[in-house]
Amino acid sequence: MMFANDAIWVLFWVLVFERVDSIRGWDVDDIIVLMAIITTSTGAVVGLANNSRRVSELATTGGLDPVLALPVHPLRHLLSSRIETIAMGDMLFGILLFAAFGDPSPSRVAVFVFSVGAAVAIVGGFLIVVGSLSFWTGRTEAGDLGFQAIVLFSIYPVDIFSGVTRFILYTVVPAGFITAIPARLVSDFDLPLALAVLGVAATAVAAGWTTFTLGLRRYTSGATWTQP
Amino acid sequence: MAAQPAALIVAGVFYLMVTAILAGLWRAAADASGGTVVGYTAAALVWYVATSEAATIALPPRMIEDIGNDIGSGTIGVEMLRPTSVLWLRIATEVGQMLPRLGVCVVVGCFFASVTVGAPPDGAAIALAAPALVLAIALNIVTQHVFASAAFWILDAKATWFLYQKLVFVTGGMLLPLEVLPDSLETITKLLPFSAMAYIPARLASGHFEPELIAIQVAWLAVLGTAAHLSFRAGERHMTSTGS
Repeated sequence: MMFANDAIWVLFWVLVFERVDSIRGWDVDDIIVLMAIITTSTGAVVGLANNSRRVSELATTGGLDPVLALPVHPLRHLLSSRIETIAMGDMLFGILLFAAFGDPSPSRVAVFVFSVGAAVAIVGGFLIVVGSLSFWTGRTEAGDLGFQAIVLFSIYPVDIFSGVTRFILYTVVPAGFITAIPARLVSDFDLPLALAVLGVAATAVAAGWTTFTLGLRRYTSGATWTQP
Repeated sequence: MAAQPAALIVAGVFYLMVTAILAGLWRAAADASGGTVVGYTAAALVWYVATSEAATIALPPRMIEDIGNDIGSGTIGVEMLRPTSVLWLRIATEVGQMLPRLGVCVVVGCFFASVTVGAPPDGAAIALAAPALVLAIALNIVTQHVFASAAFWILDAKATWFLYQKLVFVTGGMLLPLEVLPDSLETITKLLPFSAMAYIPARLASGHFEPELIAIQVAWLAVLGTAAHLSFRAGERHMTSTGS
């Protein structure tokens, strides 16, 4: 199913670029790499660390109670304790897409792996931040909405946007750093840009860790008599 | 549920996000190819996606799965005790529930398109787009019941909604005008009912005054309404005879 879904989006882009040679500097080869990065990275995050999407639910329904007694940081345990095999189809699709159509020379493969690693860190950090806000705001659909928003914006080249939207895509919803810049790096590596992506990835991880840890101090278990 | 203010706001915000993204893409594509793509100007393309998205986002994506679950769990069996048609009562209820959601999408979409590219390209055509949108929603709901009726026999329609959604996305013209497709594929997709669920209202809203498109929607509604009626009747008989 994931293969079919991802293939439809690739087909969409192929059809668009049958009619238009390039859009603001993006051609079909760039888009193939962009799609490979977003499917591989989101597949890895949701497939291998599925709880990153469920922080809001766990924080507000007592789901952290059994984790708190363990001798490891709760976030580390959460991220390694639940997988979703269906989402791994996305990851496999992205890898195969890059292998088949991404012109995988050794240098491009190395940059692709770097880009996917950075994207995984940014997507994961972003999901944990928005999910952890529930420690203060109560149960929300923030995790799901955040995931949908970041995927939605990441499957389009950021250069088609301008003004406020573009600013948002490099800050609040950092889609530009997840796919647009990494896809550029694969075709034309630039060290300062790569360092910028690495910096954003490190910031996202730190933000996720900090927000979750601070929020945990407000956690009051799922027992109904402790709920406000 | 669809009429709850919070649900309407979420639907409106999500619709605005998707429409803004696709409109941005198609405007950039028109700019890159001399002002038009397959005969659509940038303004026409923005009105196209505002309408095609409204026609699809107004509906819950997993309706087929929900109907299938109701069949598989026996909820439909209880509804069969009522002295009225299970199918048509459900369809009437669904259409009624979706209209407020469609209304929100239309208001948001008209505002967005007017602000970004100005008034609709053709006044008469946009007037036709309004009933075409309602027909598109009704046709979509009826067709989902046809697909979901498979659950009378296989007791599950989980995978079906996914396939159906993708058919509407591409062959229905939700993401792109069907003229963007290669010629042979364009011809085939225009012969399928999915084009009546997104492409037709969007084509009208983009300034193409083609009243015959409404007739195509009505014809598909009659055909698929009959198919839904027959498949539910057969399914209800099967449920009664097997007790499943």
